[in-house]
Amino acid sequence: MTSVPLRRPRRPRARRGSGRTDKVGYALVAPAMVLTTVFFFVPMVLSLYWSFNDYNGLQPPQWVGAANYTDLARDPSFRHAVKNTVVFTLVTMIIGPALGLGSALLLNRNIPVRGFFRSVFFLPVTLSLVVVGTLWKTVLAENGLFNHGLALLGISGRAWLDDPSTSLAAVSLASIWQGFGFETVIFLAALQTISQDLYEAARMDGAGRFQSFLAVTLPSLRPTMFFVYVVGVIGAFQAFDQMYVMTSGGPLESTTTVVFYLVQRFQAFDLGHASAAAYLLVVVLAVVSAVQLRLSKRLS
Amino acid sequence: MNRLLRRPAPGTSSTTGRRATGTFVILCAASLVLLLPVVWTVSTSLKPSSDVFAPGLGLIPRHPTLDAYRGVFGTVPFARYLLNSLIVTGAIVVLNVVLCSCAAYAFAKLRFPGRSLMFGLLLTTLMIPMQVNLIPLYRMMVWIHVRVPVLGADTLSGIIAPSAVQVFGIFLMRQFFASIPDALIEAARLDGASELAILRRVILPISRPGLATLTIFTLLQAWNDFLWPLIVSGSDASRTLPVGLALLSSKNTVNWPETMAGSVVTALPMVLVFVVLQRQFIEGLTAGTGKDL
Repeated sequence: MTSVPLRRPRRPRARRGSGRTDKVGYALVAPAMVLTTVFFFVPMVLSLYWSFNDYNGLQPPQWVGAANYTDLARDPSFRHAVKNTVVFTLVTMIIGPALGLGSALLLNRNIPVRGFFRSVFFLPVTLSLVVVGTLWKTVLAENGLFNHGLALLGISGRAWLDDPSTSLAAVSLASIWQGFGFETVIFLAALQTISQDLYEAARMDGAGRFQSFLAVTLPSLRPTMFFVYVVGVIGAFQAFDQMYVMTSGGPLESTTTVVFYLVQRFQAFDLGHASAAAYLLVVVLAVVSAVQLRLSKRLS
Repeated sequence: MNRLLRRPAPGTSSTTGRRATGTFVILCAASLVLLLPVVWTVSTSLKPSSDVFAPGLGLIPRHPTLDAYRGVFGTVPFARYLLNSLIVTGAIVVLNVVLCSCAAYAFAKLRFPGRSLMFGLLLTTLMIPMQVNLIPLYRMMVWIHVRVPVLGADTLSGIIAPSAVQVFGIFLMRQFFASIPDALIEAARLDGASELAILRRVILPISRPGLATLTIFTLLQAWNDFLWPLIVSGSDASRTLPVGLALLSSKNTVNWPETMAGSVVTALPMVLVFVVLQRQFIEGLTAGTGKDL
């Protein structure tokens, strides 16, 4: 941009309709827009189209209407995957945030080496789910650390991941171990923004520790809890990595999630059903996001 | 975050010494339980494979050896996976920092027709799970690879391209840039600076915390990403560490030390970054959870 006449010192260029800035603006957003269009919007439309087709990736797609979706509704494997995903989400979203809040409350007290503890809780968050899955697969194996520990207590363990009645719980345990440090840190940050005056006022009113927790702490944490749950539920619905590594979706489909099912259909060249499953996931997560939007407007 | 930690924590004034001791003991026990699997992993990676099933917890290797590490770097191409991971992560971080900053600056500080519409379109992608694009993206990459063999499926470019611009990064940087006073930019414009020069010399230098957040966020995500690299990489030439580790761990049910050594190699770089940059790391990953709630 070259020199600007001294007569108009205020906001000389960057206003609407200034051709020069328009061009710069478009040039700056162009890479992001082009890449997002090519690698997000175009695939999204293709995927939607394929979800209404019988398509194996080799022959041209054949329009079948909503048949893929109705097939999914009847497919016991898919229903299993939905059930597993819901159970996994419930288990991890009840225990994870509870552990996170508990740890945050403990870390919020005046204790030595608080920063160190916080780092220990947060460390697993930095690990990839593949590492976490590999690690816990070994820990929970028949000769693994977990059963060694149980043996010390006189309890005989088993191969937790090979038993359909315990496999999903075992995968959930690994996921909670990896994730709750994130929730701890978020809750801790939120706890430290609660005004001391509120606690003071509660004490004046004769509230005990537990009462002021109910009357001050919990209500103040509401927006944070909301955030933790929305992020957590969206993440849990997309669970795949830890199942892939720890159990390959088994035994007997006991840890097959929706995304796992989708990938299996894809690898079986059944792109129509895979796309339909993906779009069902989109709908569910869109509903979660919409509820989030609605509620967060009401909260603020 | 450190600033917050140094401040006396609210609600603690009545905490007696005994309470604090109790809390400290509980936290020590919890840390121990949390860290046990990690310690065991590292320890197992240092054992000869014959020692794995020895009785006892085995938290300390009796005959420490680096055999397992020699194994993963020798018979299993972990050096290649490591190199691939470094290239992929490096490229994704640089691309995101540059492209997200550019777009975010335009969205935050420039006015041009269609700006809100484009930004709105980008934001919708935040609500849509990536898995929905998995199959078309894969087919696209195969299509590209057939025509240009050095690009697309089973090459590093195929892993990098879909992550080159992450909309969350644009969103994050736009929030950051929006808080910078317009007067600064006006002054630079009066001095005759071009928009690109303003971005480079005025905006970016005072946006270091935002850039650090973006970098760490992208770094962790790119390094640990699994599903897309798994789908798009068909051979060791393009496998990243998580994909290589998953493969090793599925093939290798007996040689635990090697699997654990692979885990340590995959995890260590991010753990080191975390140890060195703890404050930025925690702030980076909890970005977007503060003010706007």
